[in-house]
Amino acid sequence: MSRSTNHQPTPGRRQFLQLVAAGGAAVVLSAAPGAAWAAPAAGRTRSYVLVVDGCRPDEITPALTPRLASLRAAGTNFPAARSLPVMETIPNHVMMMTGVRPDRSGVPANAIFDRSEGVVRDLDRPTDLHFPTLLERLQEQGLTTGSVLSKKYLYGIFGTRASYRWEPQPLLPVTGHAPDAATMDALLAMVDGPDPDFVFTNLGDIDRVGHSDLTGTTLRAARETALADTDVQVGRFIDHLKDTGKWDSSVVMVLADHSMDWSLPSNVISIDLILQARPELQSNVKIAQNGGADLLYWTGSDADRAAGLAAVEQLVAAHQGVLSVNRPADLRLGAEAGDLVAYCRAGWRFSDPYVASNPIPGNHGHPATEPIPFFVSGGSPAVVKQSVSSEPARTADVAPTIGRLYGLKAPAGGYDGTARTAALTV
Amino acid sequence: MPGSVLLWTRVTPTPDALPGSGTGPDVSVGWEVAVDSGFKKIVARGTAGTGPARDHTVKVIADRLTPGTSYWYRFTLGAAVSPVGRTRTAPAAGAPVDRLKFGVVSCANWQAGYFSSYRHLAARGDLDAVLHLGDYLYEYGPGEYQARDVVVRPHDPAVEMTQLAHYRRRHAQYKTDPDLQALHAAAPFIVTWDDHESANDAWKGGAENHTPGVEGTWSERFTAAHRAYAEWMPVRYEPGGTIYRRLDFGTLASLSMLDLRTYRDQQAANGADSAISSPTRTITGAAQMDWLLGNLTSTGPQWKLVGNPVMIAPVRVPSTLSAAELAGVQKLMGGTSISGVPYNVDQWDGYEADRNRVVRHLRDNSIKDTVFLTGDIHSGWACDVPADPATYPATGDSVAAELVCTSVTSDNLDDILNVPPRTGSVGVENAIKAANPHVKYLDFDSHGYSVLDVTPAGVRMDWYVLAERTDAGSGSTLTTSFNVQTTTGKVTPAQGGIA
Repeated sequence: MSRSTNHQPTPGRRQFLQLVAAGGAAVVLSAAPGAAWAAPAAGRTRSYVLVVDGCRPDEITPALTPRLASLRAAGTNFPAARSLPVMETIPNHVMMMTGVRPDRSGVPANAIFDRSEGVVRDLDRPTDLHFPTLLERLQEQGLTTGSVLSKKYLYGIFGTRASYRWEPQPLLPVTGHAPDAATMDALLAMVDGPDPDFVFTNLGDIDRVGHSDLTGTTLRAARETALADTDVQVGRFIDHLKDTGKWDSSVVMVLADHSMDWSLPSNVISIDLILQARPELQSNVKIAQNGGADLLYWTGSDADRAAGLAAVEQLVAAHQGVLSVNRPADLRLGAEAGDLVAYCRAGWRFSDPYVASNPIPGNHGHPATEPIPFFVSGGSPAVVKQSVSSEPARTADVAPTIGRLYGLKAPAGGYDGTARTAALTV
Repeated sequence: MPGSVLLWTRVTPTPDALPGSGTGPDVSVGWEVAVDSGFKKIVARGTAGTGPARDHTVKVIADRLTPGTSYWYRFTLGAAVSPVGRTRTAPAAGAPVDRLKFGVVSCANWQAGYFSSYRHLAARGDLDAVLHLGDYLYEYGPGEYQARDVVVRPHDPAVEMTQLAHYRRRHAQYKTDPDLQALHAAAPFIVTWDDHESANDAWKGGAENHTPGVEGTWSERFTAAHRAYAEWMPVRYEPGGTIYRRLDFGTLASLSMLDLRTYRDQQAANGADSAISSPTRTITGAAQMDWLLGNLTSTGPQWKLVGNPVMIAPVRVPSTLSAAELAGVQKLMGGTSISGVPYNVDQWDGYEADRNRVVRHLRDNSIKDTVFLTGDIHSGWACDVPADPATYPATGDSVAAELVCTSVTSDNLDDILNVPPRTGSVGVENAIKAANPHVKYLDFDSHGYSVLDVTPAGVRMDWYVLAERTDAGSGSTLTTSFNVQTTTGKVTPAQGGIA
């Protein structure tokens, strides 16, 4: 059993804390100005949200992921859980932490066309998120929070909202994320060090393996290896909570932000290519490609907008790999999502602006990638043990559920998500 | 329904008011609903009129009841008081539900034996409802279809039913069965029809067992069959309406009961007929397909149960079977053959475009926890429904599960092969399972019933088999259980019976 070593906290003037984690690796945490490094008082409830990025619910099995399966069986499982549009990493992590849909948070997808800057870019800036999150709202209640996010763009958008945060490192060159072992080192260091009341963690390996194999030939074996490895990391965390006497006060929520779907090289949709036959449309549409979903933005004149979008919708919907073309408002995505959102069918992917732009067989963003694992476990008496609920849990339910643990009031305008009280005794 | 139940009875106000007679007076029948079997606390009562126009059958919707509650009911006509029946309202919409338990039955041929399956289900006392997936009664005359060569008890009237009076009398005869009466009195029925409620291999324009002219027009016969069904069955269906319908059970399950006879195109000629994959042919009809796909959604109850009169999982019969085995399978499955190899064009296998619509919808939208509950084929099956049959052996990808109950009495393979149970059929079953890796369980011989247990964690079916269908007092034994664990879409063996 590996165990992180808790050294005495040594905060510097700039509120950085350097700890030594398992294997002697250095873990550097930063803290909000004025945040205390000393652990809060005993007798409280600790809560942890672990996002196993890109995991499908049927991939958690006693054989492949024994620790996750055991954790799920011990708590309350929500098998009908789903991700929310667009089924991408950034918007669903934002929904988890805000409890509201993208039309209120301003974060509908990983990539959008930024009309003001005239570019397609990731929503990875703190200013992209327009709604208060659990990470700062709990602090207003006198609690402390932490973020341990393996992906650089997640660290980017959540920024300094948490009391304590870890900047992912080392980042792997192709995937742009820190491996789960390093992420878990950081989480254990954070629990041993400042020990926040609530920590939000993203484990990115399962998702990144899904994305990284361009050939698809080794995908299944690599995916299973990643699942097994991530399971080991989750086991480290559970063991650590138990070894340090924190388990009985801990609520551990595990979910994914989306699942994963794999496409053949022949099943690629390029909307830009579809529109080539209509140059007047092609030149007036910008495309933000999100794997299983394409966000389309009309950039032509207002006078041509309605007819142009109608023509685009008709052309795109006619493609055999396209499942549906939707209005962003119908998906509660907000203005940032543009004018149309196209979903692909299972086994397909979008690749824009070029057919070669997205060579990755593993994608998400489309409805085929909605099902997610979602369960609440832990040693805390606040957790309903060994239960299964039919309730339709969603990623937006995380904030209201964790908030309920601490008696946190709903934000202005209320939550869009639902507190999953079937999992809680409080 | 959450706030109401349908109550059914039939009265004989005068000796001449016999089923199918068209005679007898109009009468008013009283009804009462109570929360206890002793009728100390009656919560609803009323009267309902009936007469020869509806063969003296009575249907009542008792409403303003409490969801998820057991009730007892009885009828009165003059001084006569009916036996007491138990029924149960469905849980309220959106209410959490821990468990549902259903009896599941199909294919009860009066002439082939006794309805011991119904008696055993009635004796359980723990069922929320009974799902009858079709072939509640059979159209044949004595000697046309029975237990192998033995007519255990002859049909009335003693002719193939083709006219309204025939259908009414046949329904009436079935309703005299004490085991069927006991089960109707023990739990509410949720029913749909398959073909034998009208005629074998029915489709929208005819049936295999219908001879236009000699037996009238199909339209007349079909209309008569449906009218008698509406009169004699406890179902919220009246002629001109639709019998396909959805019932919800809180957050736990929805149940879509299909009608796969009224709107379907004629069966294809055989397995090599290109019509099988024609996108213009349908087994459901366009409106019912839209309705079904709308029910298979992530926004409703967790489990999407589908009352499915004929099998949806693909079944390929291997050509390696002997000529006698192939002939026996063909007789059991119906349909036609190519070079002696049968292909069931009457199942969803014969309507591939419609099946593809369902499978593609489930796959594209990643709809989890869909289970098809099926009858028709006089045998017990547990199958995955492959996302793609060609790649299933490698991937194991399944979009749903299918659980098939066997026949209450109707002949199956050992009867057709005229061999003892679990002898000549076993090799055929193994060959079919080998040729269809998504078929995990197959019993071609047994008669009996199933019990379905639905919880948030899984759906489980237990198959009970009768010792002897021709013995009115036959016992039953639990033989097999399969589970569909939530989110998997796959069937796996389970141990023991449903508690």
